[in-house]
Amino acid sequence: MQSNRLGWILLAPTLVILFFFGVVPFFYVLWLSFHQWNPFAVDPNIIYNGADNFRALVFDQGFLSSLGVTIAFVFFAVLSEVILGYFLAQAFMKEFPGKAIFRTVHTLPLIMAPIIVGSIWKLMTTPSIGIIPTVLDDWFGYDLNIGTSALAAFTVTVIMDIWHWTPLVTLTLIAALASLPADPFEQAQIDGANKRQIFWHITLPMIAPALLATVFIRLMDALRTVDEVLMLTGGGPGSATRYLGVHIFKEVFPKTNYGYGSAVSIIVLYLTIVACWLLYAALIAPRNKKA
Amino acid sequence: MKLALKLGASLVALSLLTGGALAQDISIENPDWWQKAGEQFDGVTLRGVTESTPASNYVADVLAPKFEELTGIDVQIETTSWDQMYDKAIKDMEAKTGIYDMVYLEQDIVYAYLARNFLVDVTAALEENADLKAPAYSEDNFTTFAENFRGENGHLYGIPMEAFIKVYLYRKDLFNDPDIQAAFKEKTGKDLKPATTHEDYAEIAEFFTEYGKENNMDLWGTTAQAHTGHPASWYEYFESIAPTFGVYDWGIDADNNYAATVENGGSMNSDEAKAAMKWWLSMRDLAPPESVQSTWTEVATTFAAGRAAQGLVYGENAAWIATDDSKSRVVGDVGVALPPLEPGVMEAAESGEGYIGYYDGGAFGLPVTSKNQNAALLFMQFMALPEIQEDWAAAGSRVTLTSTYDTPKVKQVDEQLGGYYTMLRDDGRLFKGAPPYPFHRQVIEATTPIFYQILTGDISPEDGLDQMAAKTEEELTNLGYRK
Repeated sequence: MQSNRLGWILLAPTLVILFFFGVVPFFYVLWLSFHQWNPFAVDPNIIYNGADNFRALVFDQGFLSSLGVTIAFVFFAVLSEVILGYFLAQAFMKEFPGKAIFRTVHTLPLIMAPIIVGSIWKLMTTPSIGIIPTVLDDWFGYDLNIGTSALAAFTVTVIMDIWHWTPLVTLTLIAALASLPADPFEQAQIDGANKRQIFWHITLPMIAPALLATVFIRLMDALRTVDEVLMLTGGGPGSATRYLGVHIFKEVFPKTNYGYGSAVSIIVLYLTIVACWLLYAALIAPRNKKA
Repeated sequence: MKLALKLGASLVALSLLTGGALAQDISIENPDWWQKAGEQFDGVTLRGVTESTPASNYVADVLAPKFEELTGIDVQIETTSWDQMYDKAIKDMEAKTGIYDMVYLEQDIVYAYLARNFLVDVTAALEENADLKAPAYSEDNFTTFAENFRGENGHLYGIPMEAFIKVYLYRKDLFNDPDIQAAFKEKTGKDLKPATTHEDYAEIAEFFTEYGKENNMDLWGTTAQAHTGHPASWYEYFESIAPTFGVYDWGIDADNNYAATVENGGSMNSDEAKAAMKWWLSMRDLAPPESVQSTWTEVATTFAAGRAAQGLVYGENAAWIATDDSKSRVVGDVGVALPPLEPGVMEAAESGEGYIGYYDGGAFGLPVTSKNQNAALLFMQFMALPEIQEDWAAAGSRVTLTSTYDTPKVKQVDEQLGGYYTMLRDDGRLFKGAPPYPFHRQVIEATTPIFYQILTGDISPEDGLDQMAAKTEEELTNLGYRK
């Protein structure tokens, strides 16, 4: 009883903060999503409009297009980060000269604010001035212009995300790999298992919880990407990189379409939850069932 | 070497983004009055939010410290991006949080703010608080640009702090080079001089882009503010290009139920608008490659880096481009002219029925939600004192008081700039700010997705403008302006 009360006391500050900065805004946005509210309309008041906002977004080409490019962005970015992060984590598990320096440098992007990351990549990719188009042109004769090529802009945003967030995956997986007991690996080697079998039947199942948590975090982050992309491309060229976060930002802030923007936010939250649940159901649930 | 030069150019661009005015000595008349007026605000900190422009940076770096020195009132000016400036100001005033005591009112947003009753009536406030009225402050000192910030009652709701026109800048060194002049004459049969028509402008642009290629120079024939994901491109087309083809007020007829389509009486998708769009896109194709990622800031940087022979550049950047050799490679080589026009547009502008380009600028407004309104009134009057205008005008290419035109430094920069300030004074009446609509960002954000598709070539200018006009009417109907 005593320890229970102490636990609640220790948890209280976090719960209070979560309530005011998480729960209250969520219900406010949910409430707004059933209203029409644009303070620069002839009628600037908040007007209840039922499910009109949700009905509208089903037919909104802008939203559907954003959803499509976001799914592609999340797929390529998160998958690349997980694969690259795993190999880097494996590399860091071994000893090699300069490992400490390399690990520190490799982690630096992680501590940068997204807006700074976007600025750096903007400077690096500005056509004919930035270092990347210059090198690609001088060495390969490739004309990189993210202001005109939708594919180039999309690819650069994916690479920027990978550059920024792979260190997070690496650090998480280093922790997971370091905590694995040696016995099962030694046993497998004695039994004659090859590297692929060891990875598939021992390493992967044992790091699965950490891996899945990392994927969830990256999935949720990638689905709400705004700052970096807004700074780099502004969502362009056209709507090639107008990811859902950027779409919501433009609806809510410059356009001050608060009701509709809230509805899109709620749908994106719902999609994020569904995506995480599907991932859990596909990767973890079958293993739990087997066990 | 080429790589090193480009890296250097990137560093120059970076320094331009972060540069600020250096503190300068300003002599204020009647300092005792300011000291006494400030005494009642001991411990007050004023907070303002504004766009990071040369004029605003001068306020933050020079005027705010000087005001604090005089009155003891601390002034914190937050200079941020154009988008963030609006976002922060609107959220603060809408949520009534009272964080900001001064907000930047760009000429095109003031009508929206007035419609929402966000702003304090400065004229009335100073009449009610006579003891706060600075002896040297007078509304009569302002240029006619101040009329943009008056409400329906004729009162001022913002103190003008920057005003400039978007001008046609050209490289005097290139235009006056005898060899280049001869080559141009041989190619076109015409004398090389600043263009007065779109056809002439296009010929000059084509010539210099080819000249740059042939001579392996980083030189193109024109600038273009043609970002494919930022509304700066939308602004360039509707406020600087379309009017020169006779399409005014974004092609929306406010007196005709806010019609935008030709069939309903608007002109957003008129033949003139389509011709303007095609001409502008053809100029974009002759501009440096970075133009598709350029807003107003990058256009100025491109011109300052010597990468364009001519272009339409916001006047707020003209002074530093022409005079500041720490930022510009074309110091002393900058000429200024009126934008190229279609026949009949100048006559329409002279008669007051049209205009030839964009007269931009802004003021500092006092939100009704401010908790330090009286102290803010003091600072806003301080910004309008005649004695602080000279250096500010020279640093930021902005003039808001008529007396500023006759100051020695402004006259000197005017000469270096080929008569920019003279043009602002004498021909400013031919330019016009954004139309007085309370729905600026709403129409822009509703139509930019289509506009960007025109820029990327996904849809033709004809189809795109048709769609934009229809989308504008739909958005204005949703907002309740179009019945």
